[in-house]
Parts: sequence; C-alpha cells; structure tokens
Amino acid sequence: MKLLLLTILSTIVLGCASKETINIGGSTTVLPVISNAAESYRALNPDIRIIVNAGGSGVGINQVGENKLDIGMTSRSITDTEKQKYPNVDFNVISIGRDAVVPVVSSEIYDAGITALTLQQIGDIYAGKISNWSELGGPDQDILCVDKETSRGTRHVFMKAVLGDKEAPAPGADLVLGSNNEEQTALSQSNSAIGMLSNAWLNDDVKGLNILMDDGSKIEPTLANIINGTFPITRDLLIVTNGTPTGNIKAFIEYILSDEGQRIVEQSGYVRIK
Amino acid sequence: MFALNNNIGKSYVVFSTFISTMIIFLILILLLINSWDAISFSGIELFSLEWAPYQNKYGILSMLYGTLIVTFTALVLSIPLGIATSIFTAEILPYKYRFIVKSLLELLAGIPSIIYGLIGVAFFSIWVQDIFQLQTGRTLLTAGILLSIMVLPTIITLADDALTNIPHKYREASKGLGLYDYEVIKSTLLPIAKSNIIGAILLALGRALGETMAVMLVIGSIDKIPSPIYNLLTSGQTVTSKLGREISETAFGSVHFSALIFMGFVLLLVVICFTLIAQYFSNKTERLYD
Repeated sequence: MKLLLLTILSTIVLGCASKETINIGGSTTVLPVISNAAESYRALNPDIRIIVNAGGSGVGINQVGENKLDIGMTSRSITDTEKQKYPNVDFNVISIGRDAVVPVVSSEIYDAGITALTLQQIGDIYAGKISNWSELGGPDQDILCVDKETSRGTRHVFMKAVLGDKEAPAPGADLVLGSNNEEQTALSQSNSAIGMLSNAWLNDDVKGLNILMDDGSKIEPTLANIINGTFPITRDLLIVTNGTPTGNIKAFIEYILSDEGQRIVEQSGYVRIK
Repeated sequence: MFALNNNIGKSYVVFSTFISTMIIFLILILLLINSWDAISFSGIELFSLEWAPYQNKYGILSMLYGTLIVTFTALVLSIPLGIATSIFTAEILPYKYRFIVKSLLELLAGIPSIIYGLIGVAFFSIWVQDIFQLQTGRTLLTAGILLSIMVLPTIITLADDALTNIPHKYREASKGLGLYDYEVIKSTLLPIAKSNIIGAILLALGRALGETMAVMLVIGSIDKIPSPIYNLLTSGQTVTSKLGREISETAFGSVHFSALIFMGFVLLLVVICFTLIAQYFSNKTERLYD
C-alpha cells in the first residue's frame, strides 16, 4: 500500500517536473483565444503545460518585462513609458487577430431608442459634459458612466477613439472597473449605463451601439464591418515575448497563427488575420 | 544541567519575542525605503486629491478618506450589533446552547473574503441600488455593510469571552445588592469588561482597515471624495482596493509603484495610531479580574 502511494506520488512529482511549462498572462480580451488555443494545443502535445492567467494588458507587458511570463497578452501597443521601464527587454510583438472595442449600453437604454451615437457624443459623456440620457434623445435618466482601469488595453483603444488620447482622464466616470467580465456584470446590473467592451463580450443584457458617422451613416459592430475596417474602433490582439521566441514557446505561437489556431480566434468571436 | 536548560529556554523565548517585534519594524522600514521615490518626487502633493499616474500626479487623499469612512461605517454598524449579541450569548443564553451559537458565529470568520465579495456584487449591491434608487449599488455604504458583517465575529467572540471570564462573585455581589439583571450587565459586567471589549473593537478595526478583496469588488473604485463629504451612497476607493487594482500593473521601482507603497505606509501608520490611542484609553481602567 505504502509502495503504491509512493509510486503515485513520485509519478505526480516527476510528471510535473518533466513537463515543460509555458506561462501566459495579461489582457482579458485576448484571454479567450489563448485559453482555447492552449486547451487544444495540450491535447496535441500532452508533454507541455500551459498556464494562462488574466490581469489586463498592463500586467501582461510588465510581467514579460520582469521575466515572470513567457508570453504576455495585450490588446494595445506598448507605451513609451513601458519601454523605458525595461531597457534590457527586447519586446517582440506578434499580432494574432483583430477585435473591435464597442461602446455598449444597458439593454433598457438600447430598447428606449438609443441605438447609435457619434464618437463625439460618447466622448462628451466620458468628459462629463453630458450626464443625462434625455440630452441624447433617450429617457430622463442619469447616465451611469462606466470607466476602466487606466492600464487596460480596451480603455486605451476606446479613449483614443472618443477623446483623442489613449490615457485621457474621464471626469464623467461614475465607476472604474477592471476586466471585461467585471464591466459586463456592472453594465447588465444597471438600467442606465454606458461602457466599453470587447466585441466578443456582447450579449443580450449589454447591447453594442452603432456608431453614427459624420456623413450620417450608421456602422454596426458586426464581424463584417470589423473585417473590412469600416468600424472605427478596432485593434489588433497581440502577444508579447522577450526577444524572438524559441522552442516550445515558438511552436505554440506558430500553432496560434496556423489555420487551426486562427479558427479558434474566429470561434472566440474575433476576426482572423490570415 | 537544569541551569543550562533554563538558559536555553530563556534565550529561546527572548529570541522569539525579538523576531516577532522586529517584523513590524522591518515592514515599516521596507515600506519607507520603497516609498522614498514618491516622497522625494511629489513631497507634500502626495496629500492632494488628484491621482493620475500618467500625468505624474499622486494624491492619496481620496483613498485615505475612503478607507476611514468605510471603516467608520462598518464599525458603527457592527459594534452595537456585536456587543448586544455577546451579552446575549454570554449572559442570557443557557450554557449548553452557547457553544453551538458561538461556533456558528465563529464560522462566519472563516469564510474567505472573496466569497463575501462575490455575495456583495451579486446581492448586496443590487439591494442597495434598489432600496435607495441609485444608479449603481457599488457604493461606500455597500462596502461598509459588507465589512461590518466580516468584522462581526471578531467583536462577538472576543466580547463574549471578556464577559464570560468575569468571576461569578461580581454577579453574585451585584445581585445581592438587589440589582435587576439588566442593571448587573449595565453597571457591573460591561464596565469590568470594558478594556477587553475595546481590544475586540480594535482588532475589528484592524481587519476593516486592511480588508481588500471584498471591498475592491463592491466599492466602485473611483478616486473621488464624495460630495457632500458624508454621502455614503456614492462610489469611492479605499487604500487597499486601490493597491489591489493597481499594484500588479506598475513596474517595480517606478514612481507610480513607490506612490502605491507610500499609501500602504500611511495606512500602517493609521493602524498604529489607532492602536496607541485605544491602548492609552483602555490602560486607564484597571482590570478587576483576580
């Protein structure tokens, strides 16, 4: 009995030790793609362990800089400050797919008639100039303006589009949240909220707004519009490594860029790049 | 031989005490060293209202205010409830049930704070939102209510112990003087147990000041002082929720990181101040135990 236990224990210990581990972390926007890809990659290569964690783009970039992660996930480009922080790190950025950041509202507001806004109007809400839905032709209700933590990739892309600066402060914000998941929960719990979500996180409780362009046309946040580039707030899904990847890490990245990997990108609600 | 054993035992005890007390100094010094960058960079502006790392503004005042107001709310809610419960369990409840009730209450203390946080997000914040007709239920009040539940077991258990430990002769003597039961509790037992109850409140205060996960999920995380200043029905930020949200996104050694550490340092100083104040007051009343 003891021997059996010992054998089991040593198999577990040795099994873990002999497996090579790839540590991945960062953006919750890129997360669904990578965790699905990791799962199917593990099925093909049982000898490799892939650990995927969330945290946000800032976390992904910083921890690659500090060599705590093999691959960082990010949904925004690396800022100059971040490059200055890690002068010895050679950030190698690889694009694995495309996504849109969609301004979203609570379904109650969407059903009450607010289905399209201009980027300017959305910017004014975040700047605190518009604070009631009636100013935009909606019901007489205060706007719950949901912002995100400043290092989040989704926020960088969104703020660049609506306020012109990716790190713009948002004095009109009522709540500051973190992951797509947390943001989605808060938006669906409220009946008068506006926020920003990655395209893959839209559902019945949180409706994506159409963007009203200067020429009067309305652009829906559909995959087709993201592919042909007409939707104005799009971005690349990125992964970051320190230097050119080698060995298992390289093999995993090649898998994501392969036809099968790109199919996973599509299944996760994003747009393939190849 | 006995003398040698005695010496080894004595030095072991002294050494252990030395290590335990050094830990707090070590933490203080480490925090101070790491926050030095921010202190020399921003100076007195650290105690301003605006926190905007991208513009190199690191004002911690709104976080500090959030911490104090949330802790205050939690204690206001939990102290009367906790002391009343402990009077019941210690003085009124028959002895054989006391164990069951106390175990149940102590179970509350063992629930991980993330569970409280999830309950807070899923239920409490919705209730607060509906009851007060708010835009969002992620408010200072929600965090305060959640914290008051989390610190309740600490207050109840320790206050209950303080009351139970009072020797029976005090109760008998008081009754012998013709006091009613409630007068015995009010005039004899509570004054005797006062310093221990203050100790219980102090421990609860420490937990409330330091709680991170549960507060982070329900407070709304906006770096603003509410207006008007006593308005608990708006979102806010505490020192710990700010640290929880931002520390992993900053590079070790940057001013941003250093400012966050400074915030932790100030929080520790606040805790130390409260401890000293409470000890000063509780030492004044002499213990009547024998």
